[in-house]
Amino acid sequence: MASRTAWITAAIIIIIIIGAVAYYYSGKKGGATTTASPTTTAPPATTSPQTTQPTTTAPPTTSPKTTTTQAAPPKPVLTGNVEKDIVAIGKYLAYHGIHEAKFSVASAGDPNSVMRVYAIVEAAYRLNKILEKNGVDFRIKITTNFRRGGGDKLAQDFETAFQANKNPDIMANSYKWIARFAEEGYILDITPYVEKYQSFINEFYPSLLKAVEWKGKYYGIPQDTEARPLYWRTDVAACIKEKTGTDILANLYDKVKTGQVTWHEVYKYAELAVKTGCSKWGVLHRKGSAHPDLIQFIFAFGGQLEDPKTGKLVVDVPAVYKWLYVEWKMAREGLIPKDMMSWDWAKQIHPAVVCGKTLIWIGGTWHWTEWQTKPYCKGRPLTAEEVKKYFYYTLFPAGDHGDKPVTLSQPFVWMIASNAGKDNKEYNKYKDVYHMIAFLLVVKASDPDLIAIHSIISAHLPVTKKAAELINDKTWVQKLANLQIELSPEVKNAIADIVKKTVNEINVEFLANASKMLEYTKLTPMHPLYPRLANIFRDAVNYVLLGEMTPDKAVQYIISKVKADPELSKAVEIKGEIPKNWQFP
Amino acid sequence: MSLVSRLRLRRRRVEKPTALHDVETIPRRRTTLILALALGIAGLPLILLYLILILSSFANHMLSGPDIFTAKYSLQNWRLLFEGKLEPAAVPLYTFRDLLVIILNTFIVAGGVAVVVVVASTLAGYAFSRMRFRGRRGLMEFLILLHAFPGVALLIAVYAIYVWTLKSIPQSMLTSYQFLYTILARASLEIPMSIWLMKGFFDKIPWEVEWSALVDGASRIKTWWRILLPQVKPGIAALAIFAFLAGWEDLIYVHVFLYVAGNIKTLATFIEEAIGKIETAYLPIAAAAGTLYLLPTLLFFIFTQKTLLETMGGGVKG
Amino acid sequence: MNKSRLGTILFFLSPALALVLVFYIIPLILAIYIGFTPLRDWNLKAYLGKFTTQSYQYLFYLLTHDPDVSKVVKTTIVFTTVTLVVNVLGGLALALATFFMEERVSLTYRSLWLLPRLTPVAVYSLLWYYFFLGDASGTLNSLLLRLGVIDHPVSWGTDPSLQPEGSWLILIVVNGFVGVSFGMIIFYSALKSIPREHIIAARIDGATTLQLIRRVMLPQIRWHLVYVTIWQLLSLLTTFAHIFLLTEWGVVDRWWGTTWALYVFNEAFTTGEQGVAAAAATILVAIGAVLGIISLRLLGFKKMMPEPRGEL
Repeated sequence: MASRTAWITAAIIIIIIIGAVAYYYSGKKGGATTTASPTTTAPPATTSPQTTQPTTTAPPTTSPKTTTTQAAPPKPVLTGNVEKDIVAIGKYLAYHGIHEAKFSVASAGDPNSVMRVYAIVEAAYRLNKILEKNGVDFRIKITTNFRRGGGDKLAQDFETAFQANKNPDIMANSYKWIARFAEEGYILDITPYVEKYQSFINEFYPSLLKAVEWKGKYYGIPQDTEARPLYWRTDVAACIKEKTGTDILANLYDKVKTGQVTWHEVYKYAELAVKTGCSKWGVLHRKGSAHPDLIQFIFAFGGQLEDPKTGKLVVDVPAVYKWLYVEWKMAREGLIPKDMMSWDWAKQIHPAVVCGKTLIWIGGTWHWTEWQTKPYCKGRPLTAEEVKKYFYYTLFPAGDHGDKPVTLSQPFVWMIASNAGKDNKEYNKYKDVYHMIAFLLVVKASDPDLIAIHSIISAHLPVTKKAAELINDKTWVQKLANLQIELSPEVKNAIADIVKKTVNEINVEFLANASKMLEYTKLTPMHPLYPRLANIFRDAVNYVLLGEMTPDKAVQYIISKVKADPELSKAVEIKGEIPKNWQFP
Repeated sequence: MSLVSRLRLRRRRVEKPTALHDVETIPRRRTTLILALALGIAGLPLILLYLILILSSFANHMLSGPDIFTAKYSLQNWRLLFEGKLEPAAVPLYTFRDLLVIILNTFIVAGGVAVVVVVASTLAGYAFSRMRFRGRRGLMEFLILLHAFPGVALLIAVYAIYVWTLKSIPQSMLTSYQFLYTILARASLEIPMSIWLMKGFFDKIPWEVEWSALVDGASRIKTWWRILLPQVKPGIAALAIFAFLAGWEDLIYVHVFLYVAGNIKTLATFIEEAIGKIETAYLPIAAAAGTLYLLPTLLFFIFTQKTLLETMGGGVKG
Repeated sequence: MNKSRLGTILFFLSPALALVLVFYIIPLILAIYIGFTPLRDWNLKAYLGKFTTQSYQYLFYLLTHDPDVSKVVKTTIVFTTVTLVVNVLGGLALALATFFMEERVSLTYRSLWLLPRLTPVAVYSLLWYYFFLGDASGTLNSLLLRLGVIDHPVSWGTDPSLQPEGSWLILIVVNGFVGVSFGMIIFYSALKSIPREHIIAARIDGATTLQLIRRVMLPQIRWHLVYVTIWQLLSLLTTFAHIFLLTEWGVVDRWWGTTWALYVFNEAFTTGEQGVAAAAATILVAIGAVLGIISLRLLGFKKMMPEPRGEL
């Protein structure tokens, strides 16, 4: 009897809710349809600042005082010249009584990567200087939010915050989010701006520009990138040379580059290292995920992950099979630990690499400085000289003879929120102009010296040719080391310590060499379902390493997992078959 | 004075002699020893884990085993923590966090949740205990079954409501609104359980006390306020502690409504960030933050044992 | 008279019910509704108006085709039942043991066992992660190596020859240590609230400790057993915070360490599909509510909710 009352209560509540939802949507219909096209999105939440505006819009009568002799400036249009454009925008907004624009920038990473937000601060400083020089009464203000750790959490929080209009205006994050954000209309389509700034955009490496394109439109500007070299321990190699007479490292970089040394040879070298007792392991790699380091195997065996024509994801069976076979074989022979995928970073992986318990480490450029700052071996970090002494690096070798070596990049990119400038006066009226300012900030943040500074202190690779040239310019680097460069006091202060610690010849030389690898770089697909596919790959790698599955079983497993997921099976093409007469090693 | 406290006094009087001549026939000391040993063995992993946690907060890397004898210990992690830094000293650049503000925020949320929960559930607990109305039993059942809904899924909807209400909030009130919303939303999760506990508390008070007041012509609300509330003070205290802890340790609501929507941090989100990506995290700081996080809650528990017992004991009696 | 009585009842009930309604029941219904929308990437504006059953179709297809689902189902059943038993009986045992102890020792032990509940999930999981680490530096391995029980480190949760039991054991241990404290606190205080005279009387009649527990103590805390059992059952069915980190960090096998709640939420969150998450939650809540009602009936909830006596 009592529970009957409960049922009635529940029923009434449900009816009320359904009614409320229905009412909400009947009223919202108009609003809901306009959001379908991303570029015209006018977030309804911005109506609240607007309603408070009338009191503050009174001042316009005061602004003409300063510009009485001039006619009203025309609505600014981007021309491709930063100085001209910002002055035009500044004059226009100042004429309409707006003398300040606020923007927020957010990013994430290791503390070394703070330039991911400070570049925008510096850009605002430089733009403000131009405005000052031209006597325009208009300034840009930046608030920053730099988070420790990966960008994924930041990106998810960006989505969440966007609903409440509390998202950052400008964000530096991995390019992989562009597809999702563009589809949802969260970020600005900057194609029209980019068309005006052709010479600016031509500075960037073409391969990286692919990372900011989605369905033929530009949604971002590259911020930094990296390469994933194969690191070789020189002490282990020397030991092998002493015991067997084989000099692995002799001209190795070029041998890898020309495809003379492939994974077949790598296998033999790893075997030598373990058999001679020169190192405990032959090869170590990332734990817990196949993306992005291990995905290089697919490219190295000439495979692909995405069909450029259909835009579908691809499971390239021959390449995937060969990759899994290499891992399986190496684990069986004790060259890779069977439980590699569950090793601990701080207690197993880093110490084993830094203390020389392996011949090869499949790592990334950032490890070069990470080893110099964190105490992974014998309770202290290595010095730059030691890192140079112990680690040789090459591209990720080709799979078979006839394949090409590769490396893989996951560029960070500047993205401009589609509501950028939302915290400013009369946002709805001057939306376009605020968007232009955000774009100009990103353009200025891509000044060669800012990119170069970021690259050096965080061991990422430069994204423009001019920045790369600057890194090779010894006198400039020397000036940077002494902090004798033009920077705003705020930014200079923020990075002073790290500059002292990381700007030295060895690191700069490493960067210059690693930059050359970008010629071979590949990107993983931007496809929204790619993370799910990568998770399946990860499980398969784990199974073959553990010996729970043979490589062909694991390939079957991948296919069955893809087919079990209705969304994934629609988005993925399975190509090719397990090769029959393939020999490894 | 009141019946309950007189009863309690009497019980205490009964207890005293038992300590001298043990009526319970088994010497307590021996029982304690045997049980302590058994529980000690069962709890060995816990002792080990928390020993490691506390030692790690002083060490130069996260400890896990024999390395507790070889690690270098110092106060450095704690110093860094209080300076709001998340990195080891070797890293020349820090991620700054203002720990004091963070602790203050945590207290605001936890305190707010405690107040809301106590007010709402002392009122409702009384009704469920003392008043006859239709659907009383069904409602009680419904309240416990609410727990079957996973908080993560609830969050999306709570956030949707937040977004819709945001339009009517003036910009200047936004931060207070965020705090208010977080507190109310988080408190609501605690209310069903608290009503259950509070009802049990009221159940323990003899009817005679209330009757005499009602016969004298006082209204129920007055009786509740004047006569009953003073008698459930221990319950209120205990409830406040439970609710405070819930607010203190909340991560998902705080993360979305304060951290994401306003960059307002609490200790829980701070620790989340400190561990962040385990690949690159400097874990000893996380260990220190974790220890710091435990302290207030543990102190609360120890100092409020007595009142806590009262809640639980009476709390869930039918 | 009647009107003012209604007013009084509303005065007492409305704050709590209003809060529960606005922040619990309405969101709950809204979440069920979201399960029927294609909501993704938090995009409330774009998707909330569209009705679809694709999330349910998706889940159904996945559950009937995924080769790993049978592992997930087995894990869920074993994990939920065993952990439930451990939590309830363990909590009871702890409560009884601390009850018979001297207060000061008892308080120390109760505080110790309460620690896991007070620790942030990430820190707690981190400690267990290093405890079970499959390297010689893992806490358990280093201890056993030193004692000479094993001669090489064991990967407790990932070594294929130890699965699925190894993974299950880790999940149960990690969740069990958190779970027992809930029962412990409630049972302990319930035991404390049993009038002292009953216990002393039984002792004088010559009852042994076991008889005392069975005849005097357990009957008096029956309600609490019901409450804790149901509360824990519902918790175990829906929570996955610890399990998520343990599988993510790779200390347990990916699929033998995944429960149904984790499975669907992982599926939904790697690609940001809140619609699927809500649909999964709806199915979970349906299962949970049915199990909860059954247990309430089985355990005799009605008898434990007597009508208030002297309503004036």
